[in-house]
Amino acid sequence: MGQAATVGDAATPRERVSSAPSSDMAISVRGLTKRFGTFTAVDAIDFDVRRGEVFGFLGPNGAGKTTAIRMLTGTIAPTAGSALVLGDDVIAKPEKVKRRIGYMSQKFALFEDMTVDENLRFYAGVYDVSGAEFAARRRYILRMADLEGREDELTANLSVGWKQRLALGAATIHEPELLFLDEPTSGVDPVARRHFWDLLYDLADDGVTLFVTTHYMDEANHCHRLGFMYAGRLIAQGSPTEVRAAYAPDGATAGTLPSIEDVFVHLVTAHRDRQEDGA
Amino acid sequence: MNAAITRILAIARKEFIHLARDWRTLVAVLVLPAVQLLLFAYAISYDVRNVPTLIVDQDLTPASRAYIAKYEASDLYDVRGRVANIEAVRESFERGAARIAVVVPPGFARSLARGDKAQVAVLVDGSEPNSALVGSTFSRALNEGYGQRIQAQWADARGIDLERFGRIEPRIRTWYNPERRSADFLIPGLLVVIIMIVTTQQSAVTLVRERDQGTEEQMRVSPLRRTELMVGKLLPWTLLAFADMVAIVALSTAVFDVPLRGDVSFLAASILVFVFCSLGIGLIISAIAPSMESANIAALMISFLPGFMLSGFAFPLDSIPTVLQWASYLFPGRYMMAISRGVFLKGAGFAELSDQLGYLVVYAVAAITLSSVISARRQR
Repeated sequence: MGQAATVGDAATPRERVSSAPSSDMAISVRGLTKRFGTFTAVDAIDFDVRRGEVFGFLGPNGAGKTTAIRMLTGTIAPTAGSALVLGDDVIAKPEKVKRRIGYMSQKFALFEDMTVDENLRFYAGVYDVSGAEFAARRRYILRMADLEGREDELTANLSVGWKQRLALGAATIHEPELLFLDEPTSGVDPVARRHFWDLLYDLADDGVTLFVTTHYMDEANHCHRLGFMYAGRLIAQGSPTEVRAAYAPDGATAGTLPSIEDVFVHLVTAHRDRQEDGA
Repeated sequence: MNAAITRILAIARKEFIHLARDWRTLVAVLVLPAVQLLLFAYAISYDVRNVPTLIVDQDLTPASRAYIAKYEASDLYDVRGRVANIEAVRESFERGAARIAVVVPPGFARSLARGDKAQVAVLVDGSEPNSALVGSTFSRALNEGYGQRIQAQWADARGIDLERFGRIEPRIRTWYNPERRSADFLIPGLLVVIIMIVTTQQSAVTLVRERDQGTEEQMRVSPLRRTELMVGKLLPWTLLAFADMVAIVALSTAVFDVPLRGDVSFLAASILVFVFCSLGIGLIISAIAPSMESANIAALMISFLPGFMLSGFAFPLDSIPTVLQWASYLFPGRYMMAISRGVFLKGAGFAELSDQLGYLVVYAVAAITLSSVISARRQR
């Protein structure tokens, strides 16, 4: 709680939290921890994501990325720590945050037995987007996802690339200010991935903050800033160039910096070795 | 508040779309009840009529022939013929040619003439217990009536007034279902069983499916509340269960002449609560089951077996083992069964059955709350 006060004056009783110092941050996390029994999935992580930033959240499977996202989206309650999302305390008031954030997972969360249009309508209903607002959003999304003229097609009949873009459309039907993407491109071919990232950049250009987890290191390069998770801990963060420079061998120049992938492998093996030595 | 209604309606509409697109479920919901109704009303019957019967007349007197004529006159027994001895009866039973044999031993007429108790043996094939029980009960009744008549004749002949001895004559009357038609008994019960099976089955897979396709996680991130999700999912199924109820009631009264003597609105209100109970059970299964397959199997086990066995549908609840009697309180079927039969056959309503409805209300609230709690905890 004390940490929360250093980040933003969240204790202000009025609902003017958005004007608190942290309001320029889309996400502001201090000491965020989640334990399941004796297992610590997320271990006291601290980080900030600026508004309008594309933040890449990297780490091997089981590092705690998804658990962290669940806490930030108000789906599960943390064991300890604080999290301000869009200036609001997501732990105390998840309902307040939920209307303003979006979420897309690798499962796409589409109803395969419903048409493109029915899927959009359903999520519009869930977010209470109606009337002219919905009509405009629907038009925009169909164009964005390249699905114009295919509104009445069953989602099951769409190929993966289209499903992925429709899922992005459904996740942004309510124009969220912050979008969480949990491995949105796994299982998608390279062309569709490139296309998808173009759409993400369009969103970022419109001022939407993106919080992306991925296993693809080329995608990591597309991010403004990165955070590396390993075994529940945030072990490194910074811009791609900063991260690469930080783990470069002495005397490396801009041209000979290690790739993000090299840094990732180096970090993970170094931490694993340290853990095994300690054990 | 307005947004909450929008969200609930969005869920309900989507559930209707799922239903409309899934012809297997639709068939299960609409055709299964009709098939079950026909099956139970026509094929499966506890009515006992025309039990194939053999006569072994070893006395061969006018008295024995008069006694046997009683069997021939009754439409309960279908006298297939006369055989000479018990061996022949055994052979017929084994072939399935007869299920009851009446043996009049030698000396039957002599015993009657002396005023002694005349011995008659009724042999029953116990491998088909229902008709065996009914057949033997009726022949006991027949014997009693016949015996009393003989007794009276004997007393008359000797100028004895039997009334002075205070003879007790039992007269059995069956209330509510005087003809003991099994359709009257089965169909009000079938209504309960069908609704239980259909609703539990369908709601059991619904949350599992959402979990598999990632839509549950997606909805959890949205402003949708748990209760809104549940209510939205309950709406279409409640309507369908009501349609099933109307169809069954209409069929049973119009086609099968089952009397509907009591308060129909009370029956409808009880069905509504009962639907919530069944859906609650389905949602609990849905929250626990790791996969669609296990959800399906669990729903089958929980709706079919207790539905038939522990509701009083097939066996009277006071005739099942004590442990199972306790277990029957854990399933809503028994309460609804009491209401359904009470309303259909006994003409009962709120005044007589309010306690049963009370149990159902408590059950529904507990089941739906429990399902919400479990499915919320699963995510932790």
